[in-house]
Amino acid sequence: MTRTYDAIVIGAGHNGLCLAAYLQRAGLSTVVIERRHEEGGGINTEEPVLPGFRHNMHAQYMEFFDIMPMIQDFGLEDLGLRTVMPEAQAGITFADGRPPVILHRPDLLDRTHASIARYSKADADTYVELKHRAIALQQLFAAGLYSIPQPSGLDEQGAMIEAAFGDLGVGPQFLMKSPKHVIDEFFETPELRALLYRASVEWGYPIDGQGLGAGFLLFVMWTLGNWKLARGGTHTLAKAMTQACYREGVDLLENLMVDQVIVDDGRAVGVQTRAGEIRATKVVASNADLRQTLLDMVGEDHLSPLWVKRARAYRYGPSHVLGTPCFCLYEEPHYKSARWNEEIDRCFYTMVGFDGPDDTVRYIRDAYMGRVPKPAAGTWVNSLWDPAQAPPGRHAATGWYFLPSASALTADEWTEVRDTFNERFLDVWQESAPNMNRDNVIAHKLYTPDQMERKNLMREGDFSNGEFAPDQLGANRPFPEASNYRTEIGGLYLCGPSAYPGGGVHSACGYNAYKAIAEDLGLPSPVVAERGY
Amino acid sequence: MRDAYDAVIIGAGHNGLTLGAYLARSGLEVLVLERRHEEGGGLCTEELTQPGFLHNVHANYHTFVDLAPPVNDLDVRGHGVEYVRPEVQMASIYDDGTALTVHTDLDKTCASIARFSEEDAETFRRLYLEAHGYVDLLLGTLMYQPPMSVKELTKALATFGVEDRSEFLSVKLRRETINQFLDQHFTHPKVKAHLAFHGAVCAYTNDVAGLAIGFPLLVGKIDNWHLCIGGSHRLAHALWRDLAQHGGVMISDADVRAILVDGGRAVGVRLADGTEVAARKLVASTVSVEQTFLEFLEPTAVPEELRVRVKNDVKHKDWTLFSVHLAMTALPEYTAAEFDPDVNRAWVVNLGYGSLEELNADFAAVRAGQLPDPKPNAAVNSLYDPTDAPAGCATGLLRQFAPFAIAGGGEGEWESVGRWYGHRCIEAWRTYAPNLTDDVILDWVPYTPLEIAQKLPNMVRGDWMMGEVSLANMLDQRPLPELGQYRTPVDGLYMAGSTQHPHGFITFAPAYNALQVIADDLGIDAWWRHV
Repeated sequence: MTRTYDAIVIGAGHNGLCLAAYLQRAGLSTVVIERRHEEGGGINTEEPVLPGFRHNMHAQYMEFFDIMPMIQDFGLEDLGLRTVMPEAQAGITFADGRPPVILHRPDLLDRTHASIARYSKADADTYVELKHRAIALQQLFAAGLYSIPQPSGLDEQGAMIEAAFGDLGVGPQFLMKSPKHVIDEFFETPELRALLYRASVEWGYPIDGQGLGAGFLLFVMWTLGNWKLARGGTHTLAKAMTQACYREGVDLLENLMVDQVIVDDGRAVGVQTRAGEIRATKVVASNADLRQTLLDMVGEDHLSPLWVKRARAYRYGPSHVLGTPCFCLYEEPHYKSARWNEEIDRCFYTMVGFDGPDDTVRYIRDAYMGRVPKPAAGTWVNSLWDPAQAPPGRHAATGWYFLPSASALTADEWTEVRDTFNERFLDVWQESAPNMNRDNVIAHKLYTPDQMERKNLMREGDFSNGEFAPDQLGANRPFPEASNYRTEIGGLYLCGPSAYPGGGVHSACGYNAYKAIAEDLGLPSPVVAERGY
Repeated sequence: MRDAYDAVIIGAGHNGLTLGAYLARSGLEVLVLERRHEEGGGLCTEELTQPGFLHNVHANYHTFVDLAPPVNDLDVRGHGVEYVRPEVQMASIYDDGTALTVHTDLDKTCASIARFSEEDAETFRRLYLEAHGYVDLLLGTLMYQPPMSVKELTKALATFGVEDRSEFLSVKLRRETINQFLDQHFTHPKVKAHLAFHGAVCAYTNDVAGLAIGFPLLVGKIDNWHLCIGGSHRLAHALWRDLAQHGGVMISDADVRAILVDGGRAVGVRLADGTEVAARKLVASTVSVEQTFLEFLEPTAVPEELRVRVKNDVKHKDWTLFSVHLAMTALPEYTAAEFDPDVNRAWVVNLGYGSLEELNADFAAVRAGQLPDPKPNAAVNSLYDPTDAPAGCATGLLRQFAPFAIAGGGEGEWESVGRWYGHRCIEAWRTYAPNLTDDVILDWVPYTPLEIAQKLPNMVRGDWMMGEVSLANMLDQRPLPELGQYRTPVDGLYMAGSTQHPHGFITFAPAYNALQVIADDLGIDAWWRHV
């Protein structure tokens, strides 16, 4: 028996759930088809090591909750979404115990200023000033994030950043700079540079990415210090979104792989699964990555030579390829650097193992070149703010390593990494936090890019589902002809991170895909006047 | 979450979600609170080993899907649950390379038994057919309504004229062990061993007096084991979805620490983070009686006598399960397949128990806190579930009868012996399926009795039935006579989990029965009662 819906959404990641909720509310009978046994995609919390120790396997910090439309429009707070926003947000600590650099929440910038000023008052002034500019730009930023991207010329973009930062010496030429160029031009303190390099890459902006310098000013500076912790783990957001979908009447089918998108006369009319055909009368939207959607599910026969070429040329990694170590601890880490500022022991996100900017640069470049870098990490101890994430009196720590793309190493090499890298990192960790000795570690496990690729079909283990580079960002994502969520196949839309704006737990890909579909089908616009987008 | 609901249910296991869904469908505003980050309780499926390998960490066998009213009332299949009933349900492989297989086809099962004893095959056929005459009626009546007393049950059986009408079911069985029943009716040790093993997997331990009375019913359902495609957790999603589609809310990571009582009435709960939620009409607990009455309720809210009895008199299983979860690149190929090819298609395989004495000895050892030489049972869901492992791979589960506390070291010992004992269980499997070499096993993890209690604290001391299965702890005596009818001394507080009649397992029955009591108390129209 063939089931028929108005709309099929492929993939129950946050973007797919977001799109499905809006479609169903607009009156379209909607089904979400998920390959895994769990909803959420990258917003995934598990107990991979020991019972009661929860770890976020992919997405860690939530920076978009204040601007994410679905949270307001579907009352996700009533459905279980609860957050904590730690005061000290991002910090770097050092093995020799010199002062940490700590970046705080936007409402505590005076503390951030004091922390940076320990090294350089000029840098402290600059950071706070840039942060204020970024905050002032939030509405503009949010509106841009939650809209279908409009192609804009370099002149236009140049004029825009000049208007926002011109008095700080920023001109159109910054469009051509890399984040590293921009960071180096603004900041002199090595300790701060080391932190910002990593923050930039972690948000998906490769430090050497020519043409991403403006992105650092507009996006990275905005996101720094805006991070929230989802109580219970980031998967709580998936639960709340799923519950919203259920309440709207969305159908969710799990353990079901879409083998093929059925194309009839140039139009997507359904999907093929092991459970048979599922038909869609109006919409098929794919949250899966670009190549999987176009080359595997639709198939080259149904595509024009240009689209086949574009899909093949789309790149994954090496940027934003991360490994997630999971540590079960007796005690939270206590850092040598805490003698200068004890906040480093209660910092949401702490960089460990980088002695200075050169370390960070080498580390990042090694990973990009497909070499396993010297152990160092960004770390979280979420049980500090949410005791439920570990058994009573214990702590669950998670981190991110930069690692090579999945295909850069063989299966045996990845096994070797899983077996050894955490141990090597623990040696490094202990140099900065003496109590992080083996006796303090109950158990640990490392989750590597090749496993992420298998678990979530994140190609190459690329968190962003496609490299962040000027030719794959903005109105160029995934490629210019497909940048408005529509495809050359009628009724087939992209709603995942291969589309604008890319990876990140903002659900903007799903929200904007709904906007495109709403335009095409004459459905209600989701824009809320006072929100402005 | 909002600050008040009509009904607040503690625990999003299958009972909590089931009760919540019925109440939501009845028009109540329902909140189900779950301590863990995942709903489902024992309906727990995780990728414990490698991505794409779905391991049922707790519940694996669904045996009441065709009997439990909620399956239809809550449209479980409509919510995406797919069940398969494996053709070869179970098998025993014995040390001499022979094997016995239980099929969904009675003739095939009897043919397999006949290879050991023609007489036993005929007896089994008669027992099975007799049980089929009354099993659904009896189980339906016994399990899916608030419990009667053993006395009432015996009376009912007598009035039914059980002694004349039935060859196997008899009132005197309420004093006998399954061993006695088997010795009385069957002749071949291996046949008895398999049937006793089957009982034990259902928590009906073969040497416990009184359990013989339930044994004909177990045999009546011996070919009725269902596998939930995509992992048992799928059922949790379906129940959650039914709840949510009818306006109910399930909130995970909501750690209830107190049940609020005002004037002898339960009026809400308090979470670990201090959040208070009011319950306008009822609070239902689906977690353990220990948590409910000793931790959640102020001592003053409960009669001291009840607190003492909860401390001292609540009976838990005296053995539990040690598991090994495996990610494999091949299905087991048993040498016993030369004797009976169907063992390679058997869903659950008893490895080695060939006589009642062997089972008796191991249960005695386990009760003494010892780890017996492993005779695990092996379940390979991938034989019948195309989705629980990557293409060409298989997910494996070994389960071994084991103590919670290990003699000498207590339960803490499991932290040090877990991997060692897991390795021994795998070695034991290999002696029957030599193809399962190290390079076929991609990865494996032990899951110890201690971890059961850590992951799901309501399974006190790893008690996966949430209460001993014995006549003394059955029907209206479970978990204590004064709590046997789902009501509690606190007005508006109900017990609706597996601590209650009938018992653990995926039965939906505790919630369904609590629902009847709640409906009576609140005057809810029982739309679910089908005539």
